[in-house]
Amino acid sequence: MESSILASIGVEIIGVMSPVSICMFLVVLLVYSLSPSNPFSSPSSPISIRTAANLVYLESPSDSTAQKLEGALLNALVFVVLISIVTFLLVVLYYYNFTNFLKNYMRFSAFFVLATMGGSIFLSIIQHFSIPVDSITCFLLLFNFTVVGVLSVFSGGVPIFLRQAYMVSLGIIVATWFTKLPEWTTWVLLVALALYDLAAVLAPGGPLKLLVELASSRDEELPALIYEARPTVSRNTGNRGSSLGLLVGGVSDSGSVELQAVEHDNGNINVVDNRSNSEYTSVEVGSFPNEDRDSGKDQGESSPLVGHSRERHTSSSGSSEYSTVVVGSDRARDPEPEIVDEEMSPLVEMMGVGNNREWTRRDNAEVTSRGTAQKAAATRNRRMMMLGCERGAS
Amino acid sequence: MTLAAGIGYALLALGPSLSLFVSVISKKPFLILTVLSSTLLWLSSLIVLSGVWRGFLPLKSTSRWPYGLLIFTSIAFQEGLRVLFWKVYKRLEDLLDDFADRVSKPRLYQTDKMEIALAGGLGHGVAHAVFFCLSLLTPAFGPATFFVDRCSQLPFFLVSAIIALAFVTIHTFSMVIAFNGYAEGNKVDQVFVPVVHLVAGMVTLVNFASGGCIIGIPLLYFIASLTLIHCGKMVWRRLTENRSRQGN
Repeated sequence: MESSILASIGVEIIGVMSPVSICMFLVVLLVYSLSPSNPFSSPSSPISIRTAANLVYLESPSDSTAQKLEGALLNALVFVVLISIVTFLLVVLYYYNFTNFLKNYMRFSAFFVLATMGGSIFLSIIQHFSIPVDSITCFLLLFNFTVVGVLSVFSGGVPIFLRQAYMVSLGIIVATWFTKLPEWTTWVLLVALALYDLAAVLAPGGPLKLLVELASSRDEELPALIYEARPTVSRNTGNRGSSLGLLVGGVSDSGSVELQAVEHDNGNINVVDNRSNSEYTSVEVGSFPNEDRDSGKDQGESSPLVGHSRERHTSSSGSSEYSTVVVGSDRARDPEPEIVDEEMSPLVEMMGVGNNREWTRRDNAEVTSRGTAQKAAATRNRRMMMLGCERGAS
Repeated sequence: MTLAAGIGYALLALGPSLSLFVSVISKKPFLILTVLSSTLLWLSSLIVLSGVWRGFLPLKSTSRWPYGLLIFTSIAFQEGLRVLFWKVYKRLEDLLDDFADRVSKPRLYQTDKMEIALAGGLGHGVAHAVFFCLSLLTPAFGPATFFVDRCSQLPFFLVSAIIALAFVTIHTFSMVIAFNGYAEGNKVDQVFVPVVHLVAGMVTLVNFASGGCIIGIPLLYFIASLTLIHCGKMVWRRLTENRSRQGN
């Protein structure tokens, strides 16, 4: 029995949803278990810390509701403005190719989040559950945890699962800290950040959108803390760059365009762009979601193979590393590399190549999921920025 | 020990659905989405109902009929919602079939449709259990247990976990029955589901009587097993029919 369509649909959504759910569940568990066990006892004088999130107004229980609301709105406004400034700064830095600086900054911030904020959470866990551990062991454990986390952020060779786990734990740590904000500020901030995220990711000229498009046009990984929902199975690393370009942009037509953009100068890009526009139907971002996904998937299914093999046949100049790897492996996998058009697949399957094709197709679907995940994972990015602000202020 | 008791109660209520989720649902992402959306639908139906009933609560009178009325309206509303859910699902099925044609994969199998119905029912059931059992269960993790006068034989948490399990079962499998009934146009199945839901809801009123849980819980489990058996027979019939049709 052939695998039904149910198994393949919605993979990308779940790929993004599951880490978010895990993160939320763990945060709730953590906050619940760390809160004082008797809710009726007088709260032990909540220490209100001044962070970037409550620069303007420090909530006190005696204030009236109107005062609280006004203060919380002001706080949220200032915070969102700070975040947008930092994000635009990030875009500018990335635009002028300060990639190494950005990467090191991200490492630095990951180090501080894991070590200081995470460390204080670990301390309170140890206190709350009276875990018998001496300070030296604790320090060593914390140091190891942090260093592995920093290493896993950008260096290759780290299992993707570890990287995902660290991204989720970063999210947990930051979210746990956000629960320490005063109540009104927290709620208003939540709404404000959601709105900001919508604007930043979807609006034309939104900073995150700019950032992602820039990264996809350069065919690089974003120098930011991003959760990547790529499959846990280790895959051909050659595919990585092109698939990122393919889907993060959403508008860009095929992997081959991105590759060309890296290799040739500006004039050439336009030529290639036009040509590929005539060849493929272009995908619009932000159109009706279902349609978008369908066509996106179609593209994803046909283009890496078609794109790469055609590109390799026509242009022999400037062989980049990955494309050759991809083509090589695809050829090895598929006895007839030219028969890759989606319309032909029933025939191909009947001819007995079905098994092979199935494999490649699923492969490409996963590629699709990765890209989509990347776009949605801008949330993580946003968290990161928050950190930046917060630390900058404190 | 108390932690163990709390986890035990939670697993008693949600263990079967958890294993169902892990073994069937989690393999197919689309089913996970179905579970989530149906949970959301059920919770929002509860919010609407509580909004409507907010004005009349708490019920002061000593007679039982207002509670019966409350349960009746709630169940009527939720059964209406089930019809809506079916309509939405029908459109979704067409969309999925179109999509399958486009990527030249086989259309939805009979088992796929049943799995979607199962996922929808599981979402309803899990929402019920989370709301009526897990949310009450948080004190059970503390250092004591709690008994109610009217049911002094069993701890309150245990009773709520057992009742929640029965309702999870009823919700999960009655959705499969209902979807099948709608698809076949089978009047018996279409009526069977609301009736079972209503009877099960009314049976919980027995718990008001002193010592009522001794009678109420077996009755509830009788209804739940009735649903289960009916669903099992129906699925078996559909599958054998399907196979013989494929054989021909």
